[in-house]
Amino acid sequence: MKRAFAFASRNITELLRDPLGYIFCFGFPLIMLIIMTIVDQSIPKGSVTVFHIENLAPGVAVFGLMFVMLFTSLNVSTDRSGTFLMRLYATPMTAFDLTAGYIIPMLIIALIQCAVTFTAAFIISVIVGGTLNIGGILLCILTLLPSALLFIGFGLIFGVLFNEKTAPGTCSIIISLGSFLGGIWYDAESTGGVMLSICKCLPFYYCTRSARSSLSLDFTAEGFVIPLLIVLGCGAAVTALGSFAFSRKMRADLG
Amino acid sequence: MFAVETKALTKTYKDNTAVDSLSLAVEQGELFSLLGVNGAGKTTTVRMLCCLSKPSSGEAYVMGKNCESESAEVKSIIGISPQDTAVAPRLTVRENLMFMSRIYGFDKAGCKARTDELIEMFGMQKVADSRAKTLSGGWQRKLSIAMALIGEPKVLFLDEPTLGLDVLARRELWRAIEALKGRITVILTTHYMEEAEKLSDRIAIMIEGRIAAIGTLAEIEEQAGEKGLENAFVAIAERGLAK
Repeated sequence: MKRAFAFASRNITELLRDPLGYIFCFGFPLIMLIIMTIVDQSIPKGSVTVFHIENLAPGVAVFGLMFVMLFTSLNVSTDRSGTFLMRLYATPMTAFDLTAGYIIPMLIIALIQCAVTFTAAFIISVIVGGTLNIGGILLCILTLLPSALLFIGFGLIFGVLFNEKTAPGTCSIIISLGSFLGGIWYDAESTGGVMLSICKCLPFYYCTRSARSSLSLDFTAEGFVIPLLIVLGCGAAVTALGSFAFSRKMRADLG
Repeated sequence: MFAVETKALTKTYKDNTAVDSLSLAVEQGELFSLLGVNGAGKTTTVRMLCCLSKPSSGEAYVMGKNCESESAEVKSIIGISPQDTAVAPRLTVRENLMFMSRIYGFDKAGCKARTDELIEMFGMQKVADSRAKTLSGGWQRKLSIAMALIGEPKVLFLDEPTLGLDVLARRELWRAIEALKGRITVILTTHYMEEAEKLSDRIAIMIEGRIAAIGTLAEIEEQAGEKGLENAFVAIAERGLAK
């Protein structure tokens, strides 16, 4: 594990020195939070509730985690494109050390990103007279951890399967799909029918649902427990799949 | 015990045989060069010796340890500086070295001491706190070699260490490599004749995955019947390719 932490430390230092990381991981979610709050203030009261800060903040937090996926895939695919990873293959590092070294820093960045997003959301809530409370925010950040793991797992898979040029493109598809079918920018519940059924077939909807429920301290089975369990299961499965894909790729590289 | 030993080492990729029944032995403390044109099998040989590629047949040993069945032990006693510089671009020189020393299990004080030692050994004091991506090619290669040395390896593999460097940077790197002679075993791959001539105790000329000639410079000149490594290499290569 010592080697995994050493690699994690290298990864987080390199990520924090990449200006693009600040723009996409921190700047973009904040901009969306501000723009959508302006939209919410501009439309007639009571017509749309999805842009109320209580609904918007968890949605934007999930949206931000999708950019963590993008950066995970970039980090892995860029390392793979050069000989840096090859140098590490020739050291006593194992596949577990390497995958843990990719996942740990992204989890930390995801946590910081959520903290930044909710700090901004809290300030906005005070300004616009929202009902965000600190307890709900802390619980929501914890609830978002399995979602973070899910997106990091996707990032790991795309970083292994694609190169540094194609991985971001593939992640953009997931970002578009995830924000649309996750009900981040509209109320998926109110659509019903086939649309809601499609949303419920993918994990993104449950990421948003569990985050919104935890923020509003709604601990019902349907609103919080079941969505969280689904995200937990999907997060564990996708991360395990990503780790497996990385190990296989490493074995193939060393073949 | 030889530092490096291969017995009929072979690597095939589909229809292409990159390394063909390679048998050689390198003494401890020797600076041994694998010389050959592009595609001769030098890098593939180094990859197999560094446990980065599995042999199709034959055996490879580093300090008596089998590269296939004892890869973890082999990895703990080797260092490699790959063809590309293979450094973390946004880390400083010092951070790159600290990172590698942590990988090799040094404690905090050990990491710092080893990092300082290598910075001094390679004269990198003035660039120690510069990010790797801002360094010139020569400095990056020096850093890459220093990173390969951080784990105090018994055998150091340098794959085309001066490729693409200008003449001054190349000469400076030669001095750094020469300073290692006798202290650890160095396996150097190159296609620069002058480099092999200047640095090596012994040279192996590889043609199409096979060793066409092996020995000291004088022995190779004798085998080729030509004076100077370049003339000897051309004669041996043409003879080898004609076969």
